[in-house]
Amino acid sequence: MRRRRRLALGVLAVTAMLTTSACANVGLEPAPAAPEGFIDEIRMPSEAGGSVQGLLNYNWLSPNATVQTWLFEPLMIRDRFTCEAVPWLATGYTWEGPDRFVLTLREGVEWSDGEPFTADDVVYTFLAGKEYPAADKAGLWGDFFGAPAESVTALDEHTVVFEFAGAAIPKTDAILQTTKILPEHIYADQGDPTLFVDEIGVGTGPFTPESYNGRRLVLERNENYWNADEVRVQRLSLEGQFDANSGALKLRSGALDLYRGDIPNPNRSVVAPDPENAHFFYPPDATTVLALNTERPVLDDPAFREAFAYALDRDALSQRASFGIMEPASQTMLLLPFQEQAVPEQWRGKEFIPYDPDRANEMLDAAGYARNADGQRVDADGRPLSFVFSVQAGWMDVIAMADVISRNAADVGVQVRMVTTDPNAIEGMQKAGDFDMTVDFVSGGCQRARDLGAKLQSSQISSDQELLLNRARYVNPEIDALIDEWTNTTDESRTAEIEGRIMDVFMTEFPYIALQYAPSRLIYRTNNAVGWPSDDNPYPVDQLIRLSHELRPPGEADADGED
Amino acid sequence: MTYYVRKTGYFLLTLWAAVTLNFIIPRLQPGDPAEIMVRQLNGQGEIDPAQVAAVKTMLGYSTDNVFVAYIDYLRQLASGDLGTSFTYFPYPVAEVIGQALPWTLVLVGLTQLLSFVLGTLLGAFAAWRRNSRFDATISVGSTFVGNLQSVWIGLIILFVFAYTLGWFPASGGYGYTTPGLTPLHIADVVSHGFLPALTLMVTAPIGFILSMRNTMVQVLGEDYIRLGAAAGLRQRTLALGYAARNALLPVVTGFALSLGVLMGGSILIETVFDYPGMGRLMGEATSNRDFPLMQAILLATIVIVLTANFIVDLLYPLIDPRARRAKA
Repeated sequence: MRRRRRLALGVLAVTAMLTTSACANVGLEPAPAAPEGFIDEIRMPSEAGGSVQGLLNYNWLSPNATVQTWLFEPLMIRDRFTCEAVPWLATGYTWEGPDRFVLTLREGVEWSDGEPFTADDVVYTFLAGKEYPAADKAGLWGDFFGAPAESVTALDEHTVVFEFAGAAIPKTDAILQTTKILPEHIYADQGDPTLFVDEIGVGTGPFTPESYNGRRLVLERNENYWNADEVRVQRLSLEGQFDANSGALKLRSGALDLYRGDIPNPNRSVVAPDPENAHFFYPPDATTVLALNTERPVLDDPAFREAFAYALDRDALSQRASFGIMEPASQTMLLLPFQEQAVPEQWRGKEFIPYDPDRANEMLDAAGYARNADGQRVDADGRPLSFVFSVQAGWMDVIAMADVISRNAADVGVQVRMVTTDPNAIEGMQKAGDFDMTVDFVSGGCQRARDLGAKLQSSQISSDQELLLNRARYVNPEIDALIDEWTNTTDESRTAEIEGRIMDVFMTEFPYIALQYAPSRLIYRTNNAVGWPSDDNPYPVDQLIRLSHELRPPGEADADGED
Repeated sequence: MTYYVRKTGYFLLTLWAAVTLNFIIPRLQPGDPAEIMVRQLNGQGEIDPAQVAAVKTMLGYSTDNVFVAYIDYLRQLASGDLGTSFTYFPYPVAEVIGQALPWTLVLVGLTQLLSFVLGTLLGAFAAWRRNSRFDATISVGSTFVGNLQSVWIGLIILFVFAYTLGWFPASGGYGYTTPGLTPLHIADVVSHGFLPALTLMVTAPIGFILSMRNTMVQVLGEDYIRLGAAAGLRQRTLALGYAARNALLPVVTGFALSLGVLMGGSILIETVFDYPGMGRLMGEATSNRDFPLMQAILLATIVIVLTANFIVDLLYPLIDPRARRAKA
């Protein structure tokens, strides 16, 4: 008996020794100190799409690019809040007529291998999309939103001209920020660029690859970057993919400086334990809306839809779905308060639909949906109003929204039943128009003809094959004509006029009911770096590369006066 | 002899059925791989049909004719070509699996083998000492733990050992070392594998414990055991040589079946620990509708399970004289 006990003790001791010696950071050497005024290292999760990370490929055209943000750069970045185009590889653009687009490139930019960046690289990148359609991420050569391109040519080293078969203004942002420019001197010899496995990663970006061990990618500041003075991060390390639980834990323990996943209630799980250093900024990125299938009876009645919009308690919804972090959204579908200046005069102060069940009840009475003996609203044939709300299984925030909405609906005598299904099945239902209500998003971008107009355009009603933008299946020939005109005009006053008319449709006909804003998430720590976007210094980060120019070592930003 | 012919026939037939189902089932799921991929690139919200069309061209899959696709699939299989992964385009499926498989083979393979040994021993001992305090603890404990979610156990282990105590790394298969047969890298891999292995070791033996205990309790009630006891056979001989040996048969079959997890891995546990094995890969392939990858993994799983069972079938007559006699 005694011998056995001693054996057990021995085992325990060995285990204890093993556990303490197998320390958590085998082989870790701390990042070497960066020069004064620089940040040593910023740690982020891996940007690769897949979890098998030994498969190195810097080619951004790959669905599993090892880096998506920091090596290759777009031409310009559209600031979602101000709608300005921020110069990047290009310093400016003009539409010389609706079918001719001229781009001026930045001078003095070099690829990280020392070759000069010229108009040829831009021309190569866009022409590759003509020859190999899979490389055409901007949809330049197709006829979706604007006429297809006919030619892309270099006027000189720093000027590129795009000629289109017709008006193509809606393609602006796709050219400017969807496409990232590839080095012609490396990619041109490789044939189809989507098949090219790029293991070197020569780019124009603020960082270049330093080391990769199949899991941890370390990027190093590019000394010869065109805006090197603004980049104060010496090293970026990207490693691992974390679900929300692990992401929150990593962030709390200080093992990550940035996490962008959906951590439920970040206030409590990340900020509360360390309010000094842990913060989050969830700027609005789009509007989460309730899409009503306007092809279905009763839902095809604008009076009903409007009444329904007043029946919804958006504050309660925001509390339940996002712990009150995301604000109730404007029915104009603009991102407020950032895009305030774009709200048409007549809707100022009225753009948020209040929660007013009494008013909703009055409107429903007026529209002829009387209550029966059981208190249910009935249609003209006396059948109780009952709708199915199709919800993506596992999307907790959407389920919470649907729950609030169905209770609000019950309060005004309308039955809304939540049915949860596989997210992909919901897409199938949206394609086929086989739903009453679903949750949808309206993009808060600045190309409003496309971001707002397309939500109402009848040519954007999905077919069985393609999932298009008009999920409410709204049809109005007058609006179709206006949107067509809008997409192709460069006349600013006419643009504003049409934009106002489109917002009238959202504000008075309610094919989509605005619920709350959808965030672009950013949860970060300020021990190693400051200058992250915040309420005091908001800037959109749908293009994460902006961070590289904004981050500063702690203690410096205050002195810097923030640029 | 007919026994072996029949078993081989069954094996081939199931294999064909499995291969065909493997083709059909992924396609019955809703969702278009190209749309899912674009959504992953752009985040939720809007997807641009132009981009979807571009990705479709890139992946080069045809949605139009299922029969043509089936024939292509069989032809590809026959030539040993597993296709190109959608998620890891342009890397071929074989290479993707080749990256993930070793991790799972070692992690899950070792824990599965250990679980089997540990589980059968504990189960046998519990049955031998049935109705003792040990038996009660083991049986109730296993049933209790078995009903907990392994993810939940994993999260607790992660929280305690990685974040609170900081003894082990929280995620990944390795950290800062360069892969290779160096002591440093091996220590790195071991320290990363410890927590997922621990999680698996909490849950995986339970099935073996319970099935071993229950069969053995039954066997212990048989007349020949009582006869053996009456004849004065040594306890150990009786327990291990007769009761445990005969109770082991169904547990061995269970073990053969459980080998399927070698390919599928444990999706949830690998996700919790960000472990780069087959489980994560399988989860990813499914959510991305990565047909070539999904099919290759499922196929390998099926082949492993079928083959393991086939081998067990072939070995059965050797272990169990009754099977031999019945077939003669």
